[in-house]
Amino acid sequence: MATDSALKRRLEERLGDRLAGPVRARHDTTEIVIGPGAVTDVMRTLREDPAFRFEILADLAGVDTGSVLQVVYHLWSPLSSDWLRVIADGLTREDPRLPSVTFLWKGAEWAEREAYDMFGIVFEGNRDLRRIYMPPDYKGFPLRKDFLLPDDSARSPGMGIRYMEQPVPTAESGRRPVLRSSPGTGSLAAGSGRTEIGAGGTRAIGSGEAGS
Amino acid sequence: MTSLSNPWNRLTLAGKVIVPLVIALIGVTIALAAVWLSGFGPWLIQWLLDTLGANIGIVRFLIATTVILLITVPIAFLNIFFEMKIIAFVNLRVGPNRTGPWGTLASVVHGLKVLAKEDFTPTGADVPVFTLAPAVIFLAAVMTLLVVPFAPGLFAFDMEIGLIYFFAVGGLSVIGLMMAGWASFNKYSLLGGLRAAAGMISYELPLILSVVGIVLLTGSLNLTTIVEDQSGSFLDWNIFRQPLGAMIFFIAATAEGSRTPFDLTEADSEIVAGFATEYSGMRFGFLFFAEYVNVFILSAMTTVLFLGGWNAPLDIDPLLNFFGIATPVTVVLDPGSLGFGLLGVIAIVPPVITLILAVAIRMLIPTWGFLRSLVVAFVLLNMLVVGLLLGWLAINLDWVLGLLWFLIKAIGLSAFFVLLRATLPRVRVDELMGFAWKWLTPAALINIFVTAAALIVVKSMEGGL
Amino acid sequence: MTEARTRIPSLDDPEIIVDTPATIYDAIPPYPPTTEREAEFYSLKDGEMLINLGPQHPSTHGVLRVVMKIDGEKVVDLDPVLGYLHRGVEKICENGDWHHAISNCDPLEYIASMFSEAMPVMVAEKLLDLEVPRRAEYIRVLAWELNRISSHALFIGWLALDLGAVTPILYGFIERDEIVEMLAALTGQKLLFNYLRIGGVNGDLNHEFLSRLGTWMSHAAQRIEDQQTLINENEIFIRRTRGLGVIDREMALKMCLSGPPLRATGIPYDVRRAHPYSVYPELEFDIPTRTEGDSWARYWLHLEEIKQSLRIIDQVLHRMPDGPVMTKLPRLLRVPPGRAWVAFESPRGQYGAYGISDGTDQPFRLRIHDPSYFNLQTVGLMMPGHLIADTMAIMSSLDPIMGGIDK
Repeated sequence: MATDSALKRRLEERLGDRLAGPVRARHDTTEIVIGPGAVTDVMRTLREDPAFRFEILADLAGVDTGSVLQVVYHLWSPLSSDWLRVIADGLTREDPRLPSVTFLWKGAEWAEREAYDMFGIVFEGNRDLRRIYMPPDYKGFPLRKDFLLPDDSARSPGMGIRYMEQPVPTAESGRRPVLRSSPGTGSLAAGSGRTEIGAGGTRAIGSGEAGS
Repeated sequence: MTSLSNPWNRLTLAGKVIVPLVIALIGVTIALAAVWLSGFGPWLIQWLLDTLGANIGIVRFLIATTVILLITVPIAFLNIFFEMKIIAFVNLRVGPNRTGPWGTLASVVHGLKVLAKEDFTPTGADVPVFTLAPAVIFLAAVMTLLVVPFAPGLFAFDMEIGLIYFFAVGGLSVIGLMMAGWASFNKYSLLGGLRAAAGMISYELPLILSVVGIVLLTGSLNLTTIVEDQSGSFLDWNIFRQPLGAMIFFIAATAEGSRTPFDLTEADSEIVAGFATEYSGMRFGFLFFAEYVNVFILSAMTTVLFLGGWNAPLDIDPLLNFFGIATPVTVVLDPGSLGFGLLGVIAIVPPVITLILAVAIRMLIPTWGFLRSLVVAFVLLNMLVVGLLLGWLAINLDWVLGLLWFLIKAIGLSAFFVLLRATLPRVRVDELMGFAWKWLTPAALINIFVTAAALIVVKSMEGGL
Repeated sequence: MTEARTRIPSLDDPEIIVDTPATIYDAIPPYPPTTEREAEFYSLKDGEMLINLGPQHPSTHGVLRVVMKIDGEKVVDLDPVLGYLHRGVEKICENGDWHHAISNCDPLEYIASMFSEAMPVMVAEKLLDLEVPRRAEYIRVLAWELNRISSHALFIGWLALDLGAVTPILYGFIERDEIVEMLAALTGQKLLFNYLRIGGVNGDLNHEFLSRLGTWMSHAAQRIEDQQTLINENEIFIRRTRGLGVIDREMALKMCLSGPPLRATGIPYDVRRAHPYSVYPELEFDIPTRTEGDSWARYWLHLEEIKQSLRIIDQVLHRMPDGPVMTKLPRLLRVPPGRAWVAFESPRGQYGAYGISDGTDQPFRLRIHDPSYFNLQTVGLMMPGHLIADTMAIMSSLDPIMGGIDK
């Protein structure tokens, strides 16, 4: 049961038309759903309105529901005994886009970077939206539901062809394989032609590249 | 492909150096024996002695530097052992206790480990400078030992400008640190080298200025004279005549030897290992060897300048006379007079005796490998040499007592350096510089002024009376 | 074999990294900047240089890499690069069941893993509307507070170690050793306890744990105080922490700080009081705060929190009720569909978990909110203008644990 029933009334009062669904309350959390376009407005109201004063952004999370993407904010206010969950719902898989909240909470920058890294959600207005965990040239978005873990745990599908699977550089090319541990292991998996499922669909790995 | 059936190819790089050297040494020994047996010996030795006697300066120099180089090894090992044990004591740990009695050989094993490691030169390093830097740092440290008077008559060189020589040569190590920092092609090394340069140059100033008071009081730059000037009871030591100077000197010496809390050159939590970041193997060993020798030298200099050097805290001559012990005699050691013989003894006899001992041990205890018996033989030989040396010195009581007092003071100070390291955090680089320029240097200048003024007053009163 | 390959640019690729020796040592990434901030950071003005701090560095507390733009010894700007320890815990949790999630979350905060393993447990309990036995709740609080003390004791040692003092960390390990031993008697593990269960805890208190705890409690407070005298009034330590890494109240809220870094700015935000959970409302303890917001305040708060934790442990031992420590639950735990958010106070700040269940035995999504991740972010604000030497003091005063940050 929600512990703060007054919060629901206040939320409906102030945010009325911007809510995309009913205000729900369960356990100690009150939940509102908004559209991605209303994020700036709603969050500013929640933070700066003296009736709310949700000044602590407890969390910013990306969620893939299987059909659409969501961004979920959890807020804390000294005026309410409830957590407030704000769900920005209805982001399309192809072009998930919503405004950033870094103008209110600068600390959301890394959280948004993480959501971008893991889900591909683009936060407009974040000055530093690049990958944070995965390598910068990574292709997939790992926490999306269509990103399947491969059976080979050492290989991640977004990485493309790894260097170890490429043919050994020939002596004529004049390059020293400096970072290579041992030349013998180079063609371990090359040419096996296995397929893997990445974010971009099915891709053959190592086909036509049977080296050495 | 090289074949491993050829024994030469199975040797490591070090082995390829050491084995020919040992063979050459054995060859030289055999040749000398043959010359001796053939009857040409006396004539040859006479000729050699004549030649060397004509160049006594060179012989003296060679012997002195060899002896000094040799004694740095036990000094460094002792300091490393102290460091491990005292820090362990403060940390409520046991510390090394497996190798040798009470872990005393742990530092020797550390040395062997460093010897066995790969000597790595990073890509992009300035190879000649990179290689030379540890030698420069090490030599700058060791060369200052040449003027330290350990006991009455026991020193390598008794220079009239010993104090100036000490500061001049000690300052050379900055060049080595800069070389190491620059040549490593690593930004951490560069930062470490520059910190070293800035810090050492800043602290050189109060270090030198703090002893000017002593020079004024003593009227000499000769270290022996400075020590003799402090003879009597412990109240005659310079630390009581120059307390401010002693404090400044000790703080500046801590910074000069880059010890905690001023160990910014190798601040491991900030710039990895500073100028030593890219060093490995024996080059790294030399850097740390130099550091520990440096600690001893700075303690020794503090002892000489402020703690009365070899002087006992109280005059115990009457006591000794009361018990009927002879009045100490002073024997001046002139290594040059021993001539070529001593050089030969130092260069040839120890390896040969070590080999003989090792073979003997191997025969007596067949289960031991050759390396093990070699190490044990080396340790035995050292104990033998030290025992002989002590026995010989015991004849000259003055030396033994002087050396004993000197070592007690110097090693106690080294231990105090280590205690500081175990206790204090590190100061920041800008605070370090600020402290030198804003506090130590003015304080040293005030110290000089006060000393000079007091001297003038005392002199004029004496003159007036 | 000899035809031109289509090369996918990758950091594994030696052709990108090795071609010219200089680029090995340059911190500049081998690809064009993708954001404004990156472009701004990686363009150097006259006299500036980039230096890589980590991922292998003595004082980055794991495998954090910080690219620093320095001018001489002064830090102009810095760019933390994460991901060296990333193993995708959230994704792994989605692929195991709820019980697996406990042991998967365990190594997140490896210094105080009693906290990180509570995330899936508490989320699942909330989704199940489960009433945890009171004795189990008290045992959890006991284990949490013990773990908090062991983590804080280590923090103080780390801070001193990063300032160059070698001894305090070993004094910190004395307390940690004893606590770890007693938790090992309780849980069977010394580092990753894996003790909490959905619906209770794994095993009741035993004799060895209680006897160790009693012995330790009799001297803990006095000894911790004694040991801290080595650094508490050390002039060098105070000069190197006071007034450094300052962050003010407003900015702390904006930066989503939590834990001691937030409380050091004067905001008494502690989830144990701000949004009570477990049996904390029944216990008596204070939330210490400071107003300076600097490294020294954070250090001081850790000391005070150790004292408060000792107070809590004392009360818990006096009030420990009898009863079961585990609820009866089906072996195959199907969690009803729904969403739940839990937050609790770890030694480093507010740990949060947002779980979604679709009615199967696996979490549909388990979002892990790690406080170190948000606290570490502030180094970008605190550091510019300070010297390289201070970056360590400031960074370790935020107490980041890379296991949680990199997930």
